[in-house]
Amino acid sequence: MDVNLVPLLPAVQVLVTALVVTLRDLFIKDGESRGVLAFYSLVGLGLAAAEVFFLLGGRQEGAFNDSYMLDRFALFFALIFILAAALTILSAIDYVRQTGMREGEFYALILFATVGMIVMAAANDLMVFFLGLETMSIAVYVLTGMWRSNGRSSEAAMKYFLMGAFATGFLLYGIALIYGATGSTNLAQISAYLLDQPSEWPVYLIGGGFLLLIGFAFKVGAVPFHFWVPDVYEGAPTPVTGFMSVAVKAAAFAAWARILLYKLSPLDNDWVFPLWIIAIATMTLGNLLAITQHSIKRMLAYSSIAHAGYLLIPIVVGVEWGGLPLLFYLLAYSFMTLGAFAVLTSMTEGDESKDGYSDFAGLGFKRPFLALAMALFMLSLAGFPPLAGFTGKFYVFRSAVLSGHLNLAIIGVLNSLLSVIFYLRVIVAMYMEEGGAAGKSFRQAPFVYIAVAIALLGTIYLGILPADALDWSRRAFGSLE
Amino acid sequence: MSVSTAVFNLIALLLVVSAAMVAFSRNIIYSAFSLLGTFMGVAGIYIFLGADFVAAVQLLIYVGGILVLILFAVMLTHRITDVTITNRAAGRIPALIVVVGLVYMLIQTVRTTPWAAAKQVTFASTTATIGDAFLYDYLLPFELASLVLLAAMIGAVVLSRKEIKE
Repeated sequence: MDVNLVPLLPAVQVLVTALVVTLRDLFIKDGESRGVLAFYSLVGLGLAAAEVFFLLGGRQEGAFNDSYMLDRFALFFALIFILAAALTILSAIDYVRQTGMREGEFYALILFATVGMIVMAAANDLMVFFLGLETMSIAVYVLTGMWRSNGRSSEAAMKYFLMGAFATGFLLYGIALIYGATGSTNLAQISAYLLDQPSEWPVYLIGGGFLLLIGFAFKVGAVPFHFWVPDVYEGAPTPVTGFMSVAVKAAAFAAWARILLYKLSPLDNDWVFPLWIIAIATMTLGNLLAITQHSIKRMLAYSSIAHAGYLLIPIVVGVEWGGLPLLFYLLAYSFMTLGAFAVLTSMTEGDESKDGYSDFAGLGFKRPFLALAMALFMLSLAGFPPLAGFTGKFYVFRSAVLSGHLNLAIIGVLNSLLSVIFYLRVIVAMYMEEGGAAGKSFRQAPFVYIAVAIALLGTIYLGILPADALDWSRRAFGSLE
Repeated sequence: MSVSTAVFNLIALLLVVSAAMVAFSRNIIYSAFSLLGTFMGVAGIYIFLGADFVAAVQLLIYVGGILVLILFAVMLTHRITDVTITNRAAGRIPALIVVVGLVYMLIQTVRTTPWAAAKQVTFASTTATIGDAFLYDYLLPFELASLVLLAAMIGAVVLSRKEIKE
């Protein structure tokens, strides 16, 4: 058997970086600076990104009996994960020192989670997908609870772990039932079976599909399965929250798009209607509950639920129209959300996170750059032109209209209007109120500023010149064929 | 009734009775001990299916590892037997709906699947085949599993290590 290892390159690069960081950590004495570990992680992620671009130019192929397909779709998501990991590490450098978390393990676990995500997005076999998912989930459970001196962090980790274990159970049972019905875990063979024998499927095949659906809904935090989101997002260390709400969600949507939306699309009729309800409930409930929050971190948690609802619209819409808006919106969402969490990270004082609306009061005069960036991220999340969030929402709603789901588009637009209330409240606090926390200066936390600047550039660029990214999203989704 | 059918029925009886005891026993220690019968019964069914390796692993991991772990956890947890909360969850009606749905699905499956009579089960060793599968067709999942374990191990160390106070 000849083994083609080339498609594994980006994942292995990140994995090797994680191992190097873990081992190098052991040779640094207590009390010495561990800044070099963050540097190694960023260099490793940079190399992985370079390899992704290198592979984009070449021929994309499967490996290991086609259980691993590093096509354009997987490469697109690999870049999102690498970007999210890099921005998270950048914004965490000062935060980790301040809160007394273990630096080496923190970076290493972020990298482990990234490996798992890359594997998830590239998995063309349910077993490979599941192992990638577990690598990611376990690393993120631990990251959530890493702030040991903070009780909320441990509580969040426990909740996340229990709910995640439940979701894993659903997914695994679903995979087992689908394997029982089709005789294979390979997605190509499953999809061939579905096309070969239309409508003569056993009941438990559809049951298995629904169990998968529930597992995914757990992971993205869609509405009947969202109860863990606010507590976990609030308790986790702020950079980890940003990482969770972007990278973990993107990974779950990547697998959702490849497995349910694409390969199992013959089963579509059975779940379009439940998904339609879930999408609407997720958007509406997320936005309504976000209005009532006093903490910006918690507000962003509910906002992240609402955005999961917007992202479900392209999934309801289906393969024909949904692919491009799903991928583009995830890209846009990554930049603006990571940026908002980076600003939130910079507000930490000592080991106290200052994330209430009142803590942001007057930030516009104290830290003009941070406040301006935060204002733009909020406007982008609310969907104001000419920012990334507007372009993303435009294409999402357009796909709903074009495919005849006019009601979804209308409810989505109404929800966007609703969301303006709480996003604007942040801006009002920053520019029209006084008092509040100080935030960090560039000298105190230069890396956070770099992270914010990168996220800001991405948010503005995708809003003004989306053509390249749109074309890229289209070709990425097209590569699933 | 041939000997093998009789043995099979015996194993099935053991399995069902001990599973019922796990679910209905009010004392959590009895529940934990009843699991022994369930795990052994499942191993017996694996042997009937000619899956010798899986049966051995079932005994090693479930009976030898997980059951002992559960018993330790139960016995080392203070006053767990005094707690009046039983393992009945709060929402009975939702649970009922799920159970009815699941039972319907399983019965439908049993009814509609065109069962073929098993060919004579050949009791050949399957271990070598499984080893080959791990190193050929399923090489990637096999290696990824070690990655999951590594991440879990590092995570466990991080979370359980005593914080050193300066």
